[in-house]
Amino acid sequence: MNRERLKEAVAEILPGVDAVIAYGQGFDAAHGEPCFVTKKEELEGLILNPLCEHNLASYLPSRKNKKTGVVVKGCDSRTIVQFLQEGLVKRENLVIIGVPCTGVVSAKKLARALDHQTVEEVRFEGETVIARTPRGEKRIALADVSPDKCRTCRYPTPLIYDVLVGEPIESDKDPAAVYDDVRELMGKSLEERKAYWEKEIGRCTRCYACRNACPLCVCQDSCIAETRDPHWQSQRSNLSEKMMFHFIHAIHLAGRCTECGECERACPMDIPLGKLKKKINMDMLDLFDYVPGIVCEDKPPLYTFKVEEKKIEEHEL
Amino acid sequence: MSDVTANKELRIVGFLCNWCSYGGADTAGVGRFKQPTDLRIIRVPCSGRVDPLLVAKAFANGADGVLVSGCHPRDCHYSEGNYYARRRLEMLKRFLPFIGIDEKRFHYTWISASEGQRWQKTVTDFTKRIHELGPAGKAVLDPADKAVEEMAS
Amino acid sequence: MKREAGFIPKDGWNAFLASLAKRFNLYVPCREGETILFQPYHAESVICLDRPAASAPKGVIFPQSETLFSFELKKKAEDPRKVDVELKSEGAPQDTAIVALRPCDARGFSILDPVYMDVDPYYRSRREKTTIITLACPNPYPGCFCTSVESSPADKSGSDVLVTELDNGYFLEAVTEKGRTILDDNAIQDGAGYKEEAEGRQKAAHDRVKKAFSGGKKVKISQERLLSDEFWEETTAKCLSCGACTYLCPTCYCFNITDEQTVNRGERIRSWDSCMFPHFTLETSGHNPRTKKAQRFKQRVGHKFVYYPEQYGDLGCSGCGRCIRFCPISMEISKVVAKLSEEGEGSTKDAAEGARS
Repeated sequence: MNRERLKEAVAEILPGVDAVIAYGQGFDAAHGEPCFVTKKEELEGLILNPLCEHNLASYLPSRKNKKTGVVVKGCDSRTIVQFLQEGLVKRENLVIIGVPCTGVVSAKKLARALDHQTVEEVRFEGETVIARTPRGEKRIALADVSPDKCRTCRYPTPLIYDVLVGEPIESDKDPAAVYDDVRELMGKSLEERKAYWEKEIGRCTRCYACRNACPLCVCQDSCIAETRDPHWQSQRSNLSEKMMFHFIHAIHLAGRCTECGECERACPMDIPLGKLKKKINMDMLDLFDYVPGIVCEDKPPLYTFKVEEKKIEEHEL
Repeated sequence: MSDVTANKELRIVGFLCNWCSYGGADTAGVGRFKQPTDLRIIRVPCSGRVDPLLVAKAFANGADGVLVSGCHPRDCHYSEGNYYARRRLEMLKRFLPFIGIDEKRFHYTWISASEGQRWQKTVTDFTKRIHELGPAGKAVLDPADKAVEEMAS
Repeated sequence: MKREAGFIPKDGWNAFLASLAKRFNLYVPCREGETILFQPYHAESVICLDRPAASAPKGVIFPQSETLFSFELKKKAEDPRKVDVELKSEGAPQDTAIVALRPCDARGFSILDPVYMDVDPYYRSRREKTTIITLACPNPYPGCFCTSVESSPADKSGSDVLVTELDNGYFLEAVTEKGRTILDDNAIQDGAGYKEEAEGRQKAAHDRVKKAFSGGKKVKISQERLLSDEFWEETTAKCLSCGACTYLCPTCYCFNITDEQTVNRGERIRSWDSCMFPHFTLETSGHNPRTKKAQRFKQRVGHKFVYYPEQYGDLGCSGCGRCIRFCPISMEISKVVAKLSEEGEGSTKDAAEGARS
């Protein structure tokens, strides 16, 4: 991740766009944050390192008619491809700076590894994170604190870009491993799975952070989890309503979720929301040979159909 | 939610497309075919109208089983509706067990207006299967779960 | 005479909780996976005091969703045309206690009190029945800024008992009459001898909290900057309007009332609402005065630091820092207030530029 080259790239495209969305330093040494650059003077504040875990593409649909530059990693670029498939952004209004990436740090996992101490400084040396807290310095392997998605990353190089900052990287991860966690849960009994979700979803506060952080959840204002007319859900905060909300969220992302992980990152209660979407994605791959966010000209599988479906057999009673 | 043990019937909801499947059920009725009465029909214009969330809501409101039936593929009254339905419902069928609802409680099929006998068989077999599975009990989606006076946690 | 100070040795803590559980509906911070949240106590609870809980225990007294009353429409067999409405309200709350919340959480209750105590019987009855036993913080956590709002890691406001952890046990200070009743227990030793040590710890913790802005309760918010659209547009460009901040906050108190009805029965429910949601200010006419997140976030900061102080004389924020810690995009309300307060640069334009950095 070459910060100097990134600054050059941003400086070059800045005059032609309304703003460039890049990364800056977050509220403390262990967090990055999105940064909207409009002036050359702001370039000094940019960062490009494993703290850049945010999916900056989330901001694009609300800026559809403004010329915007955006810095994306491989996973984020899939979001842009998915937007293009669905017509949520205009390609001519985007200037995409692609950054090949071998993995970022999950701020939550890093906090855990540091026992939730206040972090004074964070440095990166190769594949190691060095963090200093009041208790002293600690060296942690990047792989130990990276989000789950990095461990099975198949697209380290952005799939769509106007400028590539860095050399393309090939994935060295086993593609079949992406859905290992889903398979593990499927291997359990029905009762065990029900109990698992009751426990995890029980912590949900229906704060909608997952929905609002999701780049593909564009209904926002008009989400049916909140509408009074039609009245799908009540405001009771019991397990049933929480489960129903997550059901709605997952089903509405069927065949569209690019597994960027923002939902899990935003959840204040650490609920493994990604698994619900990954289960559906696994089925999309199996049934329709489709992976969201890869080819701009694709159509999400539930938007279309085939007269003969090779993988769907009629069910017998 | 009524006490389902009071009478022997279980709550089975059927979403039937107006043209083929509802016609098929009608044919079965006209022919006086005997079938269990657990199934309650909701008529929709096309199986393509069936949103997976309708099925989820049915389970959430206490259904022990849900059946969806439409025209045979290639015979949809609206040409394409059932193609979309097929994709959605297959996705749903695979997703339900993931969150703890037995996929055997959900069935989708294609029954045309003339297939009265087939309708009778479907209803009879499905009702039998649901009775074998028993009442759904407290599903993960269960509104009888009273508002819990808990804090945000 | 009731005691003012008590002491419990480390190995007596669990027995103390168990004895409280006999007299109260007890809520304690429990660990579930990687999250710490307040849950009802039971013998197998995995209690964690290492760091503040993810969400404030506000919901014990001001529940996330509360049935104000339920109703059922009933028909008489003799005269089916006549429909009676049966109303049921919820029973009276029981004696409740919250243990090991933090001073910022407890202070949250003293911020909610002036709003609700006189007008909301539901809140009042629960508040009167709840005993608050707070655990002082030994050090600040990421995002904390309690000292900037004139609170501290050992702030007593809102608490009935303040507990300070020492090397070999816990020092308990009674703050209110309810607190003295708690300390009036043979299992608790006299704490007078530990007071100095505890105060030393409290002061050390206080000194370690970084100041985000000065002025405390009297922090002067620049009107010019508060009203500058440019400032708020720049500040909130990265906000996702996710609402996590409002749900975790110990002082947020906005609510929604909805009637949830199916066929012949239903409930009137009061539930938490969030000013971060676009629909927060949606009117029945269809007009929405705050469609932009810039407007909504300005309202959030204004409410806590300008409008609430004008009405109640105290800041509407306890400096707990949860909104910063859990924000997916590192929005820092403390930094925004620092930029808004007159100690920042002179002009609005400068502040807007500062907001971008």
